[in-house]
Amino acid sequence: MIDPGLALATRGLRKSYGSRLALDGLDLSVPTGVVYGFLGPNGAGKTTTMRVLTGLIHPDGGAIELLGRPFTRRDRHRLFDVGALVESPAFYPYLSGRDNLRALAASGAPTPARRVDEVLEVVGLRERAGDAVSRYSLGMKQRLGIAGALLNDPTLLLLDEPSNGLDPAGIVAIRETFRHLASLGKTVFVSSHLLAEVQQMADVVGIIAAGRMVREGSMQELLASEGIVRVRVEPDEVTAAAATLARLTAPDRVTPSVMEPGWISVQIAPDRTAEVNRSLAEVGIYASGLSSGNDLEELFLTLTGDAASTDPDGTFAGIDPSLGRLPSSEVLS
Amino acid sequence: MRLFVSALRKLAPRMATLLTFGLLAGMLVLIDVAVVATRGVGNAGPGRPANVLALITFPGAYNQILSFILGLGGLFAVIYGAAIAGSEWTWGTLKTSVARGESRSRYLLTTFAAIAVVLAIGVLFALVVGVVAAAIGATIAGVGLAGIGDRAALEALPEHFVRGWVAITETAALGFAVATLARSQLAGIGVGIALYFGETFAGLFLPDVVKYLPFHLATAAVGGSTGFAPVPSVTGPVMSTDTALVLVATWLLASLVVAAGFGERAEITG
Repeated sequence: MIDPGLALATRGLRKSYGSRLALDGLDLSVPTGVVYGFLGPNGAGKTTTMRVLTGLIHPDGGAIELLGRPFTRRDRHRLFDVGALVESPAFYPYLSGRDNLRALAASGAPTPARRVDEVLEVVGLRERAGDAVSRYSLGMKQRLGIAGALLNDPTLLLLDEPSNGLDPAGIVAIRETFRHLASLGKTVFVSSHLLAEVQQMADVVGIIAAGRMVREGSMQELLASEGIVRVRVEPDEVTAAAATLARLTAPDRVTPSVMEPGWISVQIAPDRTAEVNRSLAEVGIYASGLSSGNDLEELFLTLTGDAASTDPDGTFAGIDPSLGRLPSSEVLS
Repeated sequence: MRLFVSALRKLAPRMATLLTFGLLAGMLVLIDVAVVATRGVGNAGPGRPANVLALITFPGAYNQILSFILGLGGLFAVIYGAAIAGSEWTWGTLKTSVARGESRSRYLLTTFAAIAVVLAIGVLFALVVGVVAAAIGATIAGVGLAGIGDRAALEALPEHFVRGWVAITETAALGFAVATLARSQLAGIGVGIALYFGETFAGLFLPDVVKYLPFHLATAAVGGSTGFAPVPSVTGPVMSTDTALVLVATWLLASLVVAAGFGERAEITG
């Protein structure tokens, strides 16, 4: 047993698709009774992780524990206590929302018939439950998918991009639902690319890149200990500035941005911003911009090394680098 | 049991179900209409089959109708089996059930069991429609309904029906297995149709081999008559209907084992 306090844990999880390594020794530790934000750039291995955790694909190596017990190919019954929404919600288009949930309730964990209407109420679809799913909007399908995940009153919820297609009111309602479930002692594991949404919702965050966990911890601790200071210097001074800042912190905590030439991210507590500025000034480098904060987006981009980009210069293919992200909270510019 | 009942509930309102059996019954009605409408045209002429009215003349009409249903039904069944199995992958509904902890093989086999039941109901429905249409046609054409209560024909009908149902279920299992392997509705239907006509074509060159293939065996299991189906009887030594039925059951089981085995091991993505 990895840790009895964990609702979900993986150790050294590996998965390849042919020659492409999707998971490279992933270690996940999801405590019981929290909302866990699972973050990573496109292709980092989030969906592969979800598929492995729900038994849709089989890992090449490593161990998984669901709700404190090992989960292997032969332990499908363990999923009776798990609710999942993997990738896009899947339904029979010609059946109504209610009939789809009834069909779903007939598989897997035994589910009382009354539960169908209860979850339809939770996701706000009761009024349209009799309509064929083919007439549902994207957001309504997403709500129905979440209803399907809640059907067996799960102890652990695994949700892949649950906010997809939801309107703002729907996003707020879903967030409150997840928070409520966590307050009841249930565990909600949410894979998402909406960083602001995760920052508001999650107690614990795990960030993966290239199939490996690069940072995991409570949101509060992570943001406090992993503050970011961004400093802007002349592009030809970046190397010297990075070396100076590396002496202030550590070399692996200084990241010149490839997306925004001249900008350097430093993982350092935000209250040391003045110290960063002073150390540069002492070697004759004067910052033309300086920002500090503990924004999850900053942390994400720093930890994943702008991995969302596909070109060597850090931009999406065919996009001018000058159109890149601007600093969010400049204090000096 | 709840999974089986649910599978039946899913199949009942489905367009593929309504279309398959509606088309089968509709074609029977159309043929009877055509027979009645042309009953007096050129009956004595050369090349004109003298037994056209046999389609609406009882008790022989029973076998004619059943032969038509089982002949064309083989093609419809392979398409139907492929459509149902393929959609589980295309729509992602198998994925959703597996993620709930459902056994993959149990899910697939239960789905097929529901298909088999729907096929039985559908064939029975088409038979009833065909008999009623033939009876109406016989009355209009003045052929009479004297043989409609023929005891020997009525007693033989259940056995023919069951044999035909097993044969049709076998072809549906083939489509089901192909679509499961292809993980796609369209690919499953396409390959199923290709197998149906491919087997017919191969029968011209390899009759000794083809007589052991699923569609020819299905035909042999119901007595060798193909009705209006494009699958011809293989020339050469005729296999007994009982032997053919055993081989049909073997193909059926093999198809289901392949589908369940593949489903159990497959990586479910997308």
